[in-house]
Amino acid sequence: MSKNKKILFIDDDVDFLQAQSTFLTGRGYVVLTAASADEAMKVLAANTPDFIFLDLMMENYDSGFRLSHKIRSDERFQKTPLVMLSGVAATAGRRFDQEQESLKNWCQLDGFIDKPVSGKQLLDLIEKRTSTS
Amino acid sequence: MSHGRVLVIDDEYGIRTGIRDILELEGFLVEAVETGREALAAVDSQEFDVILIDFRLPDIDGITLLQAIQSRKLNVATCMITAYANIETAIAATREGIDMFLPKPFSPDDLVGVVNNLFKQRTIREQAERLRLAHEASLLALASEQSQTHSLVESLRDAVMVVNRDGKVALVNCAMTLLLKITETDLLLKPAAEILNQGAFIPLAKALSDRTAEGRSVFDIEIENHQYMVSVTPFYSANHEALGHILTISDISEVRRMAMEKSRFIRTMVHELRSPLGAIKSVLEVLEDRSLGNEVTPYTNLLERAHMRLNGLVELIGALLSLSQIETQGRTGANVSPIPIDPVVQEIAELYREQLKVAEIDLTITVEPNLQGVINVEDLKTILTNLIGNAIKYNRPGGAASLRVNRSGDVIIFEVADTGLGIKAENVPRIFDDFFREKRPETREIIGNGLGLAIVKRLVERYSGQIEATSTEGLGSTFTFSLPSGRSICSAG
Repeated sequence: MSKNKKILFIDDDVDFLQAQSTFLTGRGYVVLTAASADEAMKVLAANTPDFIFLDLMMENYDSGFRLSHKIRSDERFQKTPLVMLSGVAATAGRRFDQEQESLKNWCQLDGFIDKPVSGKQLLDLIEKRTSTS
Repeated sequence: MSHGRVLVIDDEYGIRTGIRDILELEGFLVEAVETGREALAAVDSQEFDVILIDFRLPDIDGITLLQAIQSRKLNVATCMITAYANIETAIAATREGIDMFLPKPFSPDDLVGVVNNLFKQRTIREQAERLRLAHEASLLALASEQSQTHSLVESLRDAVMVVNRDGKVALVNCAMTLLLKITETDLLLKPAAEILNQGAFIPLAKALSDRTAEGRSVFDIEIENHQYMVSVTPFYSANHEALGHILTISDISEVRRMAMEKSRFIRTMVHELRSPLGAIKSVLEVLEDRSLGNEVTPYTNLLERAHMRLNGLVELIGALLSLSQIETQGRTGANVSPIPIDPVVQEIAELYREQLKVAEIDLTITVEPNLQGVINVEDLKTILTNLIGNAIKYNRPGGAASLRVNRSGDVIIFEVADTGLGIKAENVPRIFDDFFREKRPETREIIGNGLGLAIVKRLVERYSGQIEATSTEGLGSTFTFSLPSGRSICSAG
């Protein structure tokens, strides 16, 4: 089922990135990594992933939002499952929760999950999304 | 009852001594004189309660003597003794404030009666005067208390308005007139609810008119981008009669700003705690899942990084503790004694010897001899460890770092320079901010929490020192800070 599925993982925490990449590779996925928005755009220029995970806070507190908006503007990625990871969603409190819906629309995110995440949680998401499409 | 002192002025020897004998029998202290001149001398040297004046004296006439006595403003009762009582002298004497007439001839009882009466009159007059003075004093005290209260209210930074039972403005202070932009005269005795029924003040008008609200109401308003806390408190007389309301409006912008800053700090802190935890957790999952097979070796790198991240977490917790300590301690006063700088610098250099070798960085240390700095040893170590640690951490193999310490007038200048990665020009001003870390591909694997320089800056400023950073991206950074010199302190003391 996971044969040849390409996952792009974007996060500026290189240790987290390496560990997640190792985990998913171990489960048979092809994992591309990017540690910044710029790197992500470079990877996307040459690849068409089946699933994208991206971190919210990278260079700036909203780097993730800008990047997802940019990704969605590319015709090739309008249907690609796009899930945002964030370490601040819960702590930013209710206000952030209220904004989440509209942000999701603007960025056309498929999901928004709080860090720290487990590899199994990510696997579930990938399998659910990629098997139905 | 103690009897009073009486002065008798009569030129007739018989009458003079007669009066004296009778009054002395009654317990009075009596001075009897013959002439007006003697009388005035007695009045000027002794105190009397009652003066009996014969109006036919050899040297001065009675009216003139009475005038002279009255002009001395003594608290004394006077009586005219005369055998020639006529209307003119009586009127003149009354005009001069005579208290009584005793026509000659008179019986001893008449005399005693009159003198007792006069003495009573005088006592009553004295008591009345004492009461008047006491009353005046209490009025004065009341007035000064009122004015004290008024100036106290006036000088409050909080805006204050007192509204009476009828809802009219009874008192406003300067801060309130400034906030409302209405003068005191335009406010006093005007209906408060009407005055406040404008713009940002409408909630106050509501709180005032809301008669159902018995207790104090507290809420926030915003005026010209400033946050204010409003409190409307009813006040009562001693017998629980409602007298009106006191309104206070306090500027809480600064408190708000600090609270926001604190919560932003905590948010960032949570992020900084979560990131390494997330990374470590992921590494554990990789192990659990045997993502790289059953051999241990392929996991070495991941485990090493996890270990480093754990150390980073421990460091972060230490840094948070230091920050909170610095914040609670505040500025350090003169009770810090000067310490020699060189031994501390050598100790730090020793501490980094191994790390310098591994990182292949050359550290040069130049310290002017016999320098003394006014700083706690541990604080100086913290500052130097952070700066030298950064000079090594944000460097490349083969790079250089240097520490120079010189005296310049009253201060000691420390300069920590490196030939490392440097900082982007736009980020130099933010480099001392809490949690700030420059995110660049070259800095990605360097573990740090963004609090080191924030701590350094706070510590330097605690000792009235200054710190600044200059940097060129790709070429290196230089941190220069000053501390008060021990020598100048010694020479001053």
